[in-house]
Amino acid sequence: MRRKHLASEKYAKRSAFKSIWKQLKKNKGAMMGLAILSVIVLIAILSQFAFNYKEDIIAQNIGNRLQHPSREHLFGTDALGRDVLGRVAYGARYSLAIGVVSVLIAMVAGVALGAAAGYIGGFFENIVMRITDIFSAIPSVLLAIAIVASLGKSTFNLMVAVGVASIPAFVRVARASVLTVRGEEYIEAARAIGMRDWKIILVHILPNCLSQIIVQTTLRVASAIIAAASLSFLGLGVPAPAPEWGSMLSEGRAYIRDYSYLMVFPGLAIMLTVLSLNLIGDGLRDALDPKLKR
Amino acid sequence: MYRYIINRLIMLIPVLLGVVFIVFFIMDLAPGDPVYQVAGEQATPAELQELRVKLGLDGNIFTRYARYIKNMLRGDLGVSYISKRNVMKTYLERLPNTLMLASVTMVVAILVSIPLGIIAAVHQNSIKDTVSMILALLGLSIPNFWLGLLLIILFSLKLKWLPSGGINGIKSIILPALTVGLGLAALMTRTTRSSMLDVVRQDYLRTARSKGVTEKKVIYRHALKNALIPIITIFGIQFSNVLGGSVLAETVFSWPGVGRLVVDAINQRDIPMVTGALVMTTMLVSIVNLLVDIIYAYVDPRIKAQYTK
Repeated sequence: MRRKHLASEKYAKRSAFKSIWKQLKKNKGAMMGLAILSVIVLIAILSQFAFNYKEDIIAQNIGNRLQHPSREHLFGTDALGRDVLGRVAYGARYSLAIGVVSVLIAMVAGVALGAAAGYIGGFFENIVMRITDIFSAIPSVLLAIAIVASLGKSTFNLMVAVGVASIPAFVRVARASVLTVRGEEYIEAARAIGMRDWKIILVHILPNCLSQIIVQTTLRVASAIIAAASLSFLGLGVPAPAPEWGSMLSEGRAYIRDYSYLMVFPGLAIMLTVLSLNLIGDGLRDALDPKLKR
Repeated sequence: MYRYIINRLIMLIPVLLGVVFIVFFIMDLAPGDPVYQVAGEQATPAELQELRVKLGLDGNIFTRYARYIKNMLRGDLGVSYISKRNVMKTYLERLPNTLMLASVTMVVAILVSIPLGIIAAVHQNSIKDTVSMILALLGLSIPNFWLGLLLIILFSLKLKWLPSGGINGIKSIILPALTVGLGLAALMTRTTRSSMLDVVRQDYLRTARSKGVTEKKVIYRHALKNALIPIITIFGIQFSNVLGGSVLAETVFSWPGVGRLVVDAINQRDIPMVTGALVMTTMLVSIVNLLVDIIYAYVDPRIKAQYTK
């Protein structure tokens, strides 16, 4: 009798994280995504030690310009004689940082607004949702372009622009999740014992929508990386000479006819990063939401 | 049904007013006084003031906003700082090019995604399904401007089949439409597949099969009809992304549409043009969404019934 009791206790104590991980481990795609992303993160971290930013990444060396890929320069050199391999590796730092920070901005703002709107309801909810509607009516690329254009070109403004454009999605997800649990008895119980509203939201409501938010965040980082690279490609993102993948493609475009290798590696880097995040996001969605699994 | 359409049209008004205000507010954050940009360095303070009034730049953001809305209702979106041309007219000149690109893009997306999605759903968990889903995932992960550049390298520079830019006959639309369309197709393949999978399990399909309807007919007549509803919705939502995505495709392929117009206007700090183009594009997206919702309500008798009561 006692043993049985212990066993069930052990089972109950298994953390949510562990059970998600167990699900995720079975998903080949997600594991592949995780492997690719780990390598990219590793490259991003190591590139700071492997290269000297001033000498290896941005220093011009005109005598060495537009060298096709060779043993010395595996990815070739660009129009200013800079090693493309080093720049692509260093660029991982920019893309990952921009993707993560901009989505964090969107997540914090969006979840706070959406959760508050869903919990408080009434007039406040109405206002928040109408403003969300307005923001989502503007095509997000155009919204981000307008914000960068107005604030000026800088890496931080790019993060803000991409972040603001992703806020509506988080508002919707958070509100929808709050609405599903708002009427539950345990919320009422918490209120009855005099818990403060913000604490109820933080302790009792948000953990319920965590899985949705995690999935949304992962997939959003992927689209934020594409958005940021797109803006940089348009010349509205990370200012030169920083080795951002989108701006590298933009710089290389003038030489597309004879030096098409310049177009290959930065784009491939964007694609692999985004692919890995999409794979992980899809895997997480399947693991966290069995209803969606087919 | 008419009440539904009218309600939706009325709901559009506050959204558009809000969009204009947001765009106004964002452009107002820009440092510097645009008057100097138009007047040049040597203008006297009196001239500057006169120009400010003439350009409608006097007063705080709310007075300017009210004035803008008043003019907008008369179809006047102001005059470009750079070309001195009427913003509305310039926008409408560019619009057909973008709409043409968007339509071909949509056709590409449908032609690729619906068959692929159906095949994946019908042969669920088979190799066909896996391949379709891998292709869709790749399509979702490729930045569309990079896909455009790769298509230029392959089809224009190496094979020399298609032009790499400009607008010149049917051939010139193929690459830009593929650039935006393949990404959209990837997303829609997934929607089609999951929508089909939902429908395939329903009882009325089993009934159809049991009375001896051929498998082909079951899929294309009975299943697809219902599966189309969520697909149409996604389509409406994605129209906004197609217009957004065409900003990049238009830049890559020097396509003279409204996306290029916005990017050029931003680079030249041409505020009336940026504001006008953003407002018009948003209006267009909202109207298309409304149309989609109407079609949707029309196609689905269950929704139609809610409004005819």
